[in-house]
Amino acid sequence: MTTAMETAGVGKRYGRRWALTDCTLTIPAGRVVGLVGPNGAGKTTLLHLAVGLLEPSAGSISVLGERPNAGADQLARIGFLAQDSPTYSRLTVEQHLRMGEWLNPNWDAAFAADRVRDLGLDLGQRTGTLSGGQRAQLALTLAVAKRPQLLVLDEPVAALDPLARREFLQTLMEVVAVDGVSVVLSSHLIADLERVCDYLVVLVAGRVAIDGDVDELLAGHHLLTGPRRDHVALPGNTAVIEASHTEKQTSLLVRTETPILDPSWTVTPITLDDLVLAYMRQARDRDRDATSEPASRLAVAR
Amino acid sequence: MTRFAWLQSRTQTLGVYAMLGALAIAAAITGVHLSNLYHSHILHCTIGCDLATTQFLHSDTFLRNSFDVLSLVTPALLGIFWGAPLLAREFEAGTYRLAWTQSVTRSRWLTTKLATGAGAVATIAGILTLVITWWYRALDKVGSNPYDLFERRDIAPIGYAVFAFAAGALIGVVIRRVVPTMAATLGVYVGARIVTTRLIRPHLLPPLHKTLSMLNADGFGFVSSDGSPITLVAKASAGSNTWTQSTQILTSTGHVASSAQLTAFVQQYCPAIANPPAPGAPGNGPVKAAPGVADAFHACRDEAARVFHLAVTYQPASRYWALQWLETGIFVALAALAIGGCYWWIARRAR
Repeated sequence: MTTAMETAGVGKRYGRRWALTDCTLTIPAGRVVGLVGPNGAGKTTLLHLAVGLLEPSAGSISVLGERPNAGADQLARIGFLAQDSPTYSRLTVEQHLRMGEWLNPNWDAAFAADRVRDLGLDLGQRTGTLSGGQRAQLALTLAVAKRPQLLVLDEPVAALDPLARREFLQTLMEVVAVDGVSVVLSSHLIADLERVCDYLVVLVAGRVAIDGDVDELLAGHHLLTGPRRDHVALPGNTAVIEASHTEKQTSLLVRTETPILDPSWTVTPITLDDLVLAYMRQARDRDRDATSEPASRLAVAR
Repeated sequence: MTRFAWLQSRTQTLGVYAMLGALAIAAAITGVHLSNLYHSHILHCTIGCDLATTQFLHSDTFLRNSFDVLSLVTPALLGIFWGAPLLAREFEAGTYRLAWTQSVTRSRWLTTKLATGAGAVATIAGILTLVITWWYRALDKVGSNPYDLFERRDIAPIGYAVFAFAAGALIGVVIRRVVPTMAATLGVYVGARIVTTRLIRPHLLPPLHKTLSMLNADGFGFVSSDGSPITLVAKASAGSNTWTQSTQILTSTGHVASSAQLTAFVQQYCPAIANPPAPGAPGNGPVKAAPGVADAFHACRDEAARVFHLAVTYQPASRYWALQWLETGIFVALAALAIGGCYWWIARRAR
């Protein structure tokens, strides 16, 4: 198995609104994939499509080589932690573990018991009275004890305080290191994912803005600064993602495979944060242009 | 999955069974007493039987009222508090995302939840109705037409309960919020019951016809509404333990008497009634015969019996069980439709 998830032209429509458009992705197996995008970008929709809670309106999706929700076997191979970590508030921690045992063929009861003990959760406590962090940890335990090949986490840390956030990601890294499971997790903040992800997908306004290996992405993007200029000549395979100008200076964020040799540019490496933000802004501006285009044409015609 | 469905509904199941148990004990103790009373005072009664019967029918008022209310509202309560939250709560709390990503297919999850729930609800309604029907058996023998208790005895309440449960489940899948689902379930249940009682049950089996003499009428009287001329009305029963659906006054030629004919009859043969000697305040509704016109009333009635007769349509006592099964069948079929709707809607929503 080399791909954890593959989508081809996937779109999802709610009524007349497209939450996801023409999404084509290949996510390799054995990676920790960060799915990043602003609120409302379609992250949850994409993840729900991956775990079979939704079906695509267009295109096709395959997860671990099968259509999602194809049957009980397929379900057993995917662990899912939904946004806000839903649990049955009137059932106890122990009853949740029993649910996991009853409903999953590969349930790792020893792991689940160990984790719950390590987390210091009271087995007899109803989950409605757990803190947000504890609930997220319990939900993660449930998803992992299923012993899935792919773990899908939808904004697992969004509702957690910084300490709980760190502990959660710590747990996640331990689990992944031992298990070799593929992970896809989403967040609207790259800072959450930076330390755990080695593969990145940036989703903006229902479209994939960029995806790839984190190291390759960082190696392939540079920040160029130099004297102000209006026309920029760069090697042919270099793409300007973002350009900004002050009175005296021009800064460019470029994607390139060849080194920038022009001595008038100062080349600095970029952070993942810069990269994601640049692509988010680019996608947003493209969207804005696309919607304002008819108006400007009209102005020209007059 | 069955074990998990049981875990989720355990508290309410045990609670309801505890209540049923308490009720059954109360019914057993007082029911035996009622039965003894019936055998000693009513069955072999020789003197003062009317009084004995009246007294018997007034025993255990509290328990009787409780049972009457319970048998009426239990199906609705099961729909509102068992059917409605069953799926609506999963959507409202978002736990469907947890349930549907365990290694159990959605259809198996749904089948198990619906089957165990419907089974529990049918059992509860069945036991309750059995207890109530058993407890009432002596009282019913003395005082009631079984058709009057049609909706509260035997098997019909089981059909109602299963339907209320399934309707609640389906509405929950559509609305996805618990409290609005409960309200809508009550509305749909009451609506379905009214429509069935008023519009469907009377037409399930073609009624039998019977002609009766006016002298056999249960009710015979005169009516004037809005100052229109006084006309004649009559009502009859086709017999004990039957369900009389309609009464019509027929002329000697076998046609339904028109109001003009009836008015003309009253004018011609019952002058004392048509033109009362001491008219009180002219008003609507039945005109009470003053003591002086009692003879005129009887004369009029005897004359009416010569000119007119009554045609009643009815369901005989022997059809009681056929109608019980039909009524139950209708509600079980509606429940099956609603359950099918749950699968359909859940699959549709994912698309």
